[in-house]
Formats: sequence, structure tokens, C-alpha cells
Amino acid sequence: MSLGKLANIDRRVFYWILFIALMVPFLSPIGFPITISPNTQDLYDGVTGDQVAEGEVWIVNFGYGVSAWSDCHPSVTVLTKALFREGAKIIFMGVHYDIELTYNKLQDTCRADFANKVYGEDYVFLGYMTGGESVIAQLGSNIKSVFPQDHFQTPYDDIPMLRNVVDVHDIAGVISSDTGDYGGHFMTQWQAAYGTKLAEAGIAMNGSTDLPRWQAGNFFGVSVGSRGGAELEILIGELGEATTAMDSISVSHLLLVIAIILGNIGTLTEKLGGKK
Amino acid sequence: MAYPTATLDVIGLWIGWFLMLMIYSYPLYKENITYRFAEYLFIGVTLAITIITNFSNVMRMCITPLMQGNLLMIVPLILGLMIFAMLIPEYRWLSRYPIAILVGAGFGLGIRGTIKPNLQDAIISTITAPTGGALLDWFNYLYVAVGLICSIMYFMLTFEHSGALKTPTRIGRLFIMVGLGAYFGNTVLFRFTMLTGRAQFFLQVLKLIPM
Repeated sequence: MSLGKLANIDRRVFYWILFIALMVPFLSPIGFPITISPNTQDLYDGVTGDQVAEGEVWIVNFGYGVSAWSDCHPSVTVLTKALFREGAKIIFMGVHYDIELTYNKLQDTCRADFANKVYGEDYVFLGYMTGGESVIAQLGSNIKSVFPQDHFQTPYDDIPMLRNVVDVHDIAGVISSDTGDYGGHFMTQWQAAYGTKLAEAGIAMNGSTDLPRWQAGNFFGVSVGSRGGAELEILIGELGEATTAMDSISVSHLLLVIAIILGNIGTLTEKLGGKK
Repeated sequence: MAYPTATLDVIGLWIGWFLMLMIYSYPLYKENITYRFAEYLFIGVTLAITIITNFSNVMRMCITPLMQGNLLMIVPLILGLMIFAMLIPEYRWLSRYPIAILVGAGFGLGIRGTIKPNLQDAIISTITAPTGGALLDWFNYLYVAVGLICSIMYFMLTFEHSGALKTPTRIGRLFIMVGLGAYFGNTVLFRFTMLTGRAQFFLQVLKLIPM
């Protein structure tokens, strides 16, 4: 086979190799080393130790749907565990239609921690909101105006942990996990305006947007995709979904690099052959 | 999370498994009727959930408070209904009012918080020299500084990119290409992570790895 044919390999061949190769590390883990990035370390430090006082109210925003579970959920799981273990109270809310599925999954992945907490006193699920940056600004002014009831139709005023929670001033910090840019909306409407502690645990694609914000001090920490989730799992000492998946993700990256190299060799060979 | 034991949960799991294979039959084989079926089903179900969720949201945030006597809620309700006027050509102009309000409010809110985090903090962060003496930190600092200046110069379209501007604008273009490449790379890697999740699900349903 001439090298020029490398540029024209049927893409289905690559997809088959990829699909099969991704499964192998799950069956036989490789154990690639995972180092902790400073942005992830800052994130973990910001939700543990002296940074969180008992009884503080934090917001965890599900800015991702089921499709991004593999990238976002491991980070949110660890951060929820860490906040609960520091005695913080958590308001869960989100901007995706399938938010209830994500909330249910969190209950499952943090089962032991939720078992020690009481709904309405230690945590509450306010549910779905829509409206982009406007709704985040409105939340800062009056949370009840956006969520007159929680997801289960309990009136806001009847929820014990929310009795003294009116606006942004009653929230100690926000963790936003996004496929979009709700972290950015919290940054412009909450962090910049009121100095609220804010962190992001988004998909890998958002890393190039989120990391400069961390460097500028707008986010106290950032977790980037599954990799960030795996780092957080190591930091809390409970390996989970992200650590398991990292081998497979690393293999997929390796395959992509190989495919790019092969494709370029093929294209260059074709071009050089054409010149002759 | 353990493998489900309830019959309905097991059925749901297997339906998900088969639907996933139907969708993947397109890239792994070619377009076919099973792919079409799964695609239409996905679109239909998503649309249904979207409508129900938004309808419930309007009920919760607007209709219920209105019925309880909060008459101000009539304003967003009317504005929301006016959007639908764009479906009737002769009353299309009515939809411009709520859209104008949305755009105006969006700009106003956006500008309110944009200056400090997106401009001031970002610029300060970029021009602040690293405190440590690590060589890599200084390399990053200079790399970002040169990249930022040259990239901005590339967008100076009031001057011809020749003479003294020729080299920096070309360097700026290279930096922009590297930046867009990194952004695209991140996008591809996110898709791969999603695929990894599906590969894991594929094996979990077959009980080859724990759920």
C-alpha cells in the first residue's frame, strides 16, 4: 500500500478501531498516571478546610445535561461530597431540560453523603430555570422570584434552609458546571458585582475559556472535563467514574494523534507525488 | 450505582443500549432505517420534554402567581404571547417589541458586569509578570504577551498590513490559528469523552464491567 492511500482511509475503519479501542481500557485498566493541575488543586482547596464554614449556603448549578455526564458529573460529585462534609448547605438548580435525571444521578453517586442530610434543611433542589444571563442577574436580586417553589412544588417560604436566603448576599459560593457559559454569567452578574466566590467545573471544551478566568482571579478554581474530575477524585481519596474513564480517554487522544499523523503523511505523500 | 433489578429499569437500560447502537450504526456502517428511527425518536422525545418543561416553567413562574393575585405577571405573559405574532405576517411587527426588550435587557445586563472581569481583570492578569522565577512561567508570560499584542494588531484593519505592521500581523495570524486549533481540539476531545461514556455504558449493560 502506498503512503498516499493513508489520506483516503474510509473513516468507518477509524470509527471501528476507536470504538473497540475505547472499550479495552475498561476491561483491562492501563493505569496512566494522573497529576494534579494547580487549577484543580485551587478548586478543591476552595471547597474544603477553612474556606467553607459550617452552615454556609452554596449553589451548585447543573449547566449540563445527560450528554455531558461523563465530562461534568465526576467533578460535581466530588465537589458536592466535599461541601457536605464541611457542613455546607447546598442549593441545587440547573438550566437543562433533563435536570431531574442529573439530580437523581447525583443522589446516586453521593448516596452516603445524602443519607446523612435532610432535604429542605441541608440541601434543596430548586429545579429548572431559563433565561440566560437575565435569570442569573435576577437570582442575585431575589432568588424567590425565580423559584417561588422548589422542584417538588414546595413553596419557597416553607423550606427551612431558605428562610434566611433572600439574594446573592446570603450565598457563600457558587459552583457552576457547564457545557455552555453559565459560569460566565455568574461571573459577570455575581462575582464581579458582589465578589461572590465562584468556581467552574465544565466540559473540556470550556477549558480554554475558563482557565484565563481562573488566572485572572475571577474563578477560585477550575476543573477541566473528565481529567479535572479524575484529579478531584484523587484529591478527595475516592476514585470513581472519571478515574476509570481516564485510561480510555487517553487512548482516544492517542488514537486521534496517530490518525492526524497518518492523514498528514498521506496528504503530503499525495502532494509530493503530484508534483512529480 | 448498581445494575438495576426492577424489570422496568432493566428494560429501560436495554432500550437505551439498542437505541445507542442504532445511532452508532450511521458512523460505523451507513445511514439506515434503524438510525433514522432512533434519530426521529430522539428528536420527538426531546421536543416533547422541552415543551413540557417550558410550559411547566411558565405555569410556575407566571400563571400561578397571576392566579394568586400578582397582576404584574400579566406583563411578561402578554409580551411572551406577542412573540408568537411573528407567525402571522400582518401582525409580525408586534413581535418586535418583546424582542427589542429582550435584546435591550440583555445588552444592559451584559455591559453591567463585563468591564471588570472580561476586560480589566483579563488585561491585568495578562500584563502581570510572574512572581516566581520558573523559566516556564516566564516563557508563558512572554508567549501570551506577544500573542496578545500581535493578535490585536492583526485586527487593526484601518492600516494596511505592510511595512512595520507586516511581521507582527503575520505572527498574530499564526497565534489566532493556534488558538482556534486549541479550541477545536478541546471540542473534539469533549466529543471523545462522550464516546468514552457510551463505550463504558455498552460494557456495563452487558455486565462485562460493574455499573
